[in-house]
Amino acid sequence: MTTLLKLEDLNVSFATPRGALKAVRNVSIELGAGESLGVVGESGSGKTVLSRATMGLLPSTATRTGAIIYQGQDISGWSSEKVRELWGVGMAMIFQDPMTALNPVRRIGAQVTESLTVRLGMDKKAAKARAIELLKRVRIPDPEGMLRKFPYQLSGGMRQRIMIAIAVSCNPELLFADEPTTALDVTVQAQVLELLDELRKEYNTAMILVTHDLGVVAGHTDKIAVMYAGDLVEYAPTPQLFANMKMPYTEALLKSIPRLETPTGTRLPVIEGRMPDPTKDEPGCAFAGRCPYVQDKCRAEKPPLTDGGNNHYYRCWFPIGGK
Amino acid sequence: MSDVTTATEETTAAESSPAPKKRRRPFGFYLAGGWLGLVVFLALFGGFMPLPRWDESFYDFLGSPPGTSGHILGTTQDGYDMLAGLVNGARLSSSIAFVAVLLGGSIGSFIGITSAYFRGRIDLIVTSIFNVMLSIPNLVLSLALLSVLAYSDANHPASTLRRVVVLMLSLTIVIVPILGRIARASTLQWAGREFVIASKSMGTRNFTIIRKHILPNVAPAILAIGFLAIGSVIIVEGSLAILGIGIPGGGSWGSMLANGRSNIQFSAWEVYMPALCIAFTVISCNWFGDYVRNLLDKREAKI
Repeated sequence: MTTLLKLEDLNVSFATPRGALKAVRNVSIELGAGESLGVVGESGSGKTVLSRATMGLLPSTATRTGAIIYQGQDISGWSSEKVRELWGVGMAMIFQDPMTALNPVRRIGAQVTESLTVRLGMDKKAAKARAIELLKRVRIPDPEGMLRKFPYQLSGGMRQRIMIAIAVSCNPELLFADEPTTALDVTVQAQVLELLDELRKEYNTAMILVTHDLGVVAGHTDKIAVMYAGDLVEYAPTPQLFANMKMPYTEALLKSIPRLETPTGTRLPVIEGRMPDPTKDEPGCAFAGRCPYVQDKCRAEKPPLTDGGNNHYYRCWFPIGGK
Repeated sequence: MSDVTTATEETTAAESSPAPKKRRRPFGFYLAGGWLGLVVFLALFGGFMPLPRWDESFYDFLGSPPGTSGHILGTTQDGYDMLAGLVNGARLSSSIAFVAVLLGGSIGSFIGITSAYFRGRIDLIVTSIFNVMLSIPNLVLSLALLSVLAYSDANHPASTLRRVVVLMLSLTIVIVPILGRIARASTLQWAGREFVIASKSMGTRNFTIIRKHILPNVAPAILAIGFLAIGSVIIVEGSLAILGIGIPGGGSWGSMLANGRSNIQFSAWEVYMPALCIAFTVISCNWFGDYVRNLLDKREAKI
């Protein structure tokens, strides 16, 4: 499998009145063509910033260092004009909230055909035909009628399908899906994820699926990267990670997913405490304050990303199940 | 798959259900619309109507009251026909206001939208300039521009055309920061939305995004304030005329008012007729501005 994307020591920090906020710290990740990577973490862990930083969609207050090697070229130093050539055609993004990611005053047709005419230079007729085909592909009933509708006339699931249709319209090599199912009902979630899988296999598109839900990535990714407070804390092939989790944080995330078989009235396990202040650089493991297995060494020294063999990396002094 | 079929049923059900009740327009809509329609009609076609000349003095009818045959709305003390004057005033006043707001609005919107979209240093400079311009009262600003750009006295007379053009330009300059600021504020509200980032992430160019995504969302707000601006421009134009630096020769409503002022005890109609025309037009414009803004608020609430 050829390497499509490689991040090397990616750092992102934001200038804030309280000092530099380090949102992503020294993250290195590799993704092959057609592969699917899940990026998991709670709110504020830097997972969304990671995906936006890779694309180059950060606000002007952000500083980014490190290399982003896309198809063998380091695009981190490219001008915004040059990177824009990649957007849509090379990399595309599906946004979290389908309620806000569509323009409320423009018809669906205009929004789906936009990138077709602007990026691929199709004429109106061809773009319309392709738009209908795309809407059919994401299983939207009556695609021709859909083109004339406005976003407010559609349900959340329908809108997310439209978003997916727009994102895949120019056949990107790499698709970022930023919490694509968070705003949707559970039943619709499954359909959207299946649809993404199907499209991915059909076009051999690689995908980075950003989510806070380990359950979502379990069946739909080849690899998982768990992030905490801007750090990559565990990184392994999906089956390996679930079979042999090393990082207490990953375990805590998995435990906090509500389950059907637990008796009624059971309290949902939560991860107590909060993430450390991202503007401060404290010694020790970032998770130490919340970790059930914490020891003195954890508070004093920050653990490095350790290679546990079998492509399994973790950032912990005392991993679950030993070293 | 089940949700797909229900969605179809829902949409078809929504389409086949009886047409939604037509929204009753408020009475004021017809009143204000009717008046503005009349003004625009007179401005466009007044010249073709069988009226006495507006710039000719009728010596047999000096200060005739309204109702005189041949001069339905009367004449001034100098023998000018009131109706012809008002029709001509409609043409001048409304075209000055319309051109100033259209031109000033377009320039202001362009500057406001682009500076809010790109932010950075340009935005800082633009906002500072707007704020300085806004800190000068409209009337004083246009007064200053007018007396500099179209200075005239007995020895250096400025032509009427030049004065009209300069008047339009100075009013345009007054409008630029007013509508520019509205456009900027409204753009700030939309430019950070996800659909803008989404479109950007597909590789759409910035000016295409502005044209296709920002402008349609910002336009109603500019339109609402644009109507209010037409009203205030007509007032500024009238005030300038009363101060004696409008258009010479009594062309616009404001100049008619200014000329008739000294005759108010003999022929009050010289004053109240143009004054009423100004008042009705300004009130109608303001009403429409509010109406558009109301629609806008309702739409915002829906989104």
